[in-house]
Parts: sequence; C-alpha cells; structure tokens
Amino acid sequence: MATVQVSDLRKSFGALEVVKGVSIDIRDGEFLILVGPSGCGKSTLLRMIAGLEDISAGRIDIGGRVVNTLSPKERNIAMVFQNYALYPQMTVAQNMGFSLEISGMKKAEIDKKVAEASEILGLTPLLQRKPSQLSGGQRQRVAMGRAIVRDPDVFLFDEPLSNLDAKLRVQMRAEIKALHQRLASTIVYVTHDQVEAMTMADRIVVMRGGCVEQIGTPLELYDRPDNMFVAGFLGSPSMNFLRGKIEGQSLLLPGGERLALPSLPKGGSSGDVVVGIRPQGFAVGTQDGAKATIKVVEPTGADTHVLADVGGTEVTCVVNDRVDFAPGEEIRLSISSAKVHFFDPASEVRLD
Amino acid sequence: MTAIAPRREDDALLLKPRRDPFLIILWIILVTFALVWIAPVVLIAFTALKSNAEVMATSAFTPPEAIAWNNFSGAWARGNFETTFKNSVIITVIKVPLGLMFSAMAAYALARIRLRFGKLLLLFFLFGAMIPFQVMLAPIFTLVNGFGLIDTYPGVILPYLAFGVPYQVFILHGFFKAVPKELSEAALIDGASHVTVFRRIFLPISLPVLAALLILDFVSTWNEFAMALVLLQDRHMWTLPLGLMSFQGQFSTDYGQLNAAIAMTVFPAILVYMIFQRYFVSGLTSGAVKG
Repeated sequence: MATVQVSDLRKSFGALEVVKGVSIDIRDGEFLILVGPSGCGKSTLLRMIAGLEDISAGRIDIGGRVVNTLSPKERNIAMVFQNYALYPQMTVAQNMGFSLEISGMKKAEIDKKVAEASEILGLTPLLQRKPSQLSGGQRQRVAMGRAIVRDPDVFLFDEPLSNLDAKLRVQMRAEIKALHQRLASTIVYVTHDQVEAMTMADRIVVMRGGCVEQIGTPLELYDRPDNMFVAGFLGSPSMNFLRGKIEGQSLLLPGGERLALPSLPKGGSSGDVVVGIRPQGFAVGTQDGAKATIKVVEPTGADTHVLADVGGTEVTCVVNDRVDFAPGEEIRLSISSAKVHFFDPASEVRLD
Repeated sequence: MTAIAPRREDDALLLKPRRDPFLIILWIILVTFALVWIAPVVLIAFTALKSNAEVMATSAFTPPEAIAWNNFSGAWARGNFETTFKNSVIITVIKVPLGLMFSAMAAYALARIRLRFGKLLLLFFLFGAMIPFQVMLAPIFTLVNGFGLIDTYPGVILPYLAFGVPYQVFILHGFFKAVPKELSEAALIDGASHVTVFRRIFLPISLPVLAALLILDFVSTWNEFAMALVLLQDRHMWTLPLGLMSFQGQFSTDYGQLNAAIAMTVFPAILVYMIFQRYFVSGLTSGAVKG
C-alpha cells in the first residue's frame, strides 16, 4: 500500500504531446479511476506510472519515493492488462507464481500464496489449466490473481473489462470493487466506460486531450461538473445541452419555445447560455411546457427513453413510465428536476 | 417398425457431396508434381540396391532383382564415410543449435529492447541475407586463410553461422514482433529481466518456429557443398557432400555405390525432418494465425 503522486507529468511522442502536465495525488488505499475518450492520454499516464513508458517531464512518486527512472520491477507495482497477457505455455498456478519464482521465493511459500489468491478469486479448481482452456472471465481473474500474489504497493488496471461481454463485465465490476474493499490497496484504474468509473471509483479523474478536466468523487462530478465535457461524459444517457437566452425565469430557445427554469445562474446572466439537464430531469406531458416532436421511443423495460426535438435541439428524456408515443407526435416538455447546470457557451465552463 | 425405409436415390442426392471441379484439377496438379518429386527418390532407392551390371542392364525404374546390400558397405569404405560422416555430424551439431541461439537472441533484442539504432541494426542483419554467397566465396577463402583456419572445424562453422543468422533473424524478428507486447511488459512488471523474459516466455512460445528453422538449417548445413569445397582442402576434413565426389571416377562411375552413398547422406536429414515436421507445419502457420 502506498500513495502515488503525479506532478506536472508530460509525455511526448516526437512532436506530439499526449500528456500535457498532469498532476494527481492518489491517497493510500484509494480506488482512483482515470476515465476519458480514446486518445486522451489515460493509458499513457498509467503506463508511465508502471514504468513502461519514459517520462518526458515531471515526476512520479510511489510511497514517497521518486520512481522516474526506476524500471517496472523496482517500483513494486502490479498491472492487469486489457488482453490479460497471460503466459500461454504456463498453467494458471505457474502464471500466478511467476513473479514470486523470479524473486527467488521458496516453492512451498509460492504454493501457499497462490493458494490464498486463488481462494479469493475462486480459481482453485482451475490451477492446473492452461490459459487457452479458460473463459474470458476466468482469464481476467487469473490476471488479477497474478497481481494479488505479489502484494504490490499499487495495482494498475488498464481497461481490464473491455474484452468481456456485458453481463460478465457487471459481475467482474462488483468483484473488483469487493477485492478492493478486502485488500484496501491503492488502485489506479483506466477505463473509457463512465459506468465503470461511476460505480467503482473512490475518485474519478476525467481526462481529455492529455489534460485533466476534473478530479472528484463520482457524485461530485455528477452533481457539479466543472464544464460541459465532464457533464456530458458522466451519466447515462448523457446530459442534454440546450442553447438559448435567459429571459425572466425561463430559457428562450432558438425556435421561440420557452422552458421554465427551476433556478437561474448566479450573477443572473441575461445573455446566451447553455443549460445542461439530465435526461431524468424532464417531465413529458401533453399539457404545459415547450412544444417538442417525438423522434424515437426506446423502451428499456424499467423506463423509456424518449428522443424528442425541441426547437431544433435533440434531447433525450428518461420517463419512468411506459409511454405510448408515436414518432412524429407532438408533446410538451418541461423541466421537473430542481437541478440544472449553466455553462458559458463560448468557454463551456460552469457558470456558478 | 413404423420407420419408413429411406429411398436410395434420395440418399445419394443428400449424402453425396458435389465435387468441385477446381479441386479435381488441383488434385491432378498435386499428384503430377508429387510424381516428379518422388521419381528421383525411387530412382536412388532402386539404383542403390542394384549391382553395377544390373544398373546397366535394366531400366532405371525397374525394381532390383537381387538386392545388392554390399553397395552400402562398399560406398561407406570408398567414400571414406567414417571420416566424412563424423565431420558432417560435428559441424552440423555445433552450427545449427548455436546459430539458432544467436539468431533468437538477436531477434529478441531487435524486436523487444528499445535500442538507439535498432532499425539500422536490423537492416544491417537483413542485408546479410541479400548477398549471394557465390560472390563471397573468394573473399571468405582469403579471410579464413588469413586466420589460418582452412581445414579446421571453426573455419567452416564460423562462415556457416554468418550466413545462417540473417534469414533466421528475419523470420524470428517477425514472429517476436507479433507477440503481444503486453506479454513481455507483464513479465517485466513481474520482475523479470530481459534474459528471463527471453528464456521463460519467448523461447517456449516460439518452439514451433524454432523447430521449423532447425529443420531448414539442418538440411541446408548438412547438404552444403560449395563453401565446404572451398574451405576444406584436406580429405580428412571433408563433409558428406564432398565425400560423394569420390564416386565420380575419371573412367567409370559405380552408380550402385554412388546412389547408396547418396541414400546414406540424405537419410539423417530425412530423419530430422520426420522428427520435427509436426512442429514444422504448425511453425509455418503460427505467424499467420496466432493461437
């Protein structure tokens, strides 16, 4: 267990800078998730912490020790890769014991540690199998077992669930979270899946274009996103953004429709503004509100996603009921949530 | 019994797969080529078992009437096989594993260790495979002679190594490049050094390719003639292919003994091929389809 400090870290491949001065303090025992779209530099950042990529500038401390120039094996970290990276010619037990064997540990002790880890992960009946004889989920567990037996300072996960099917992903998500609660170890976890980030993380780091957009707990980021990118990235379906002018207590949309607002931006902006509303924050009815046209209705069973066109902007609404709208039908849209977000249309930054 | 007896014609229609005319043509071509390849083998086998008189009297593809086993003992003595066989074995057994080891290590370093001039170094290696060795015969003779290594084992083994390494590095480099980089990264994080990664991860998974290269290299080293002819002047240092020259007399050629000698020369290569061919086939495809 250890803290990890990343200070003004930079990475360039030739002229292309992919990590542009990132600073993060990771606490001891924290489950930190780096999330962002493809190419945002999150995997590169993780690989720099692991020592698999050189650092162009900045510094990394693990457990209070500068590790900038240390090789991966000197950093006492363990990493779980997206494609598992199991040694194909070794059995599950050999895969898990490989690092201990290299470190010169006695066979009896290796067996004991491997047995412990496989017990935690439910791998005991599979110990003598080769990776090719395992399912995707089992391989993933072996990769995690290989990390656990080493008792490292920091666990690094590089999109570990991306290769699993949806159902298994949900299951493994819970398992990894339970594992973290049990081992109380520091985890840095990279994903592009915001659901993984929201459900598992102690804190989330949202990245874009090599920069950190916002750091915070999942609910902080969900409730108070610093800018439109973070607001749109977290939450499913993603937040709706409506451009318009504030007039009195309502938002005047370009098409002339008005939406009554539950609150106003502090400082009382009277000019152009972008209002962010979660899909769950709309009320769909036939009586009052702004006129909208139904485009698509997606029933999910529990609730219904309604895509509608309001004043030229497409919005997604999640309705808790089963609704019986047909495409093309005209409805009335109003804001039911007390929480709306205001952003500056030019800088995309939060206004209050 | 209520089951209806199946009608014959229906069966034929359902069960008999339609033959693809393309496949039939392919088979005919394959069989033709196989015959072309098998013919000399049959010829050697038959002739090796005939007395010289019978060779002259019968057609080449007539099976021998009286089997002349003494061709083999005669050839063994006349070709000085005791010496040439020993020389061939020593040279091949040292050269082939040593060359493969060097090539594998070089290929690993070029594929997996970040080197400053890695690409240039690879090109340098590959350039070695582009020079026809006939061009090099005279310079090599001068060089080996300069070191005083004419008529010695190192004098042949070293040039053999130099000529074998480039194409092996080429093939192994391609194979190692195709191994997911996470595999070596995982091992590095697990605390392995590059030597350990090479020995414990890369060597085991490249066994099929190594087996394929072993066969190719064994056969070509075992059969190598031109360079041995130039570098080995002393009869006592001759290898098997050179030994076969003794059968080409100025006035007469004993075809029975010659073919017996050829059969004995080829046999070890066939044996090695049969032992490793299982890996050989999988080695050829392992680059294309990663298992």
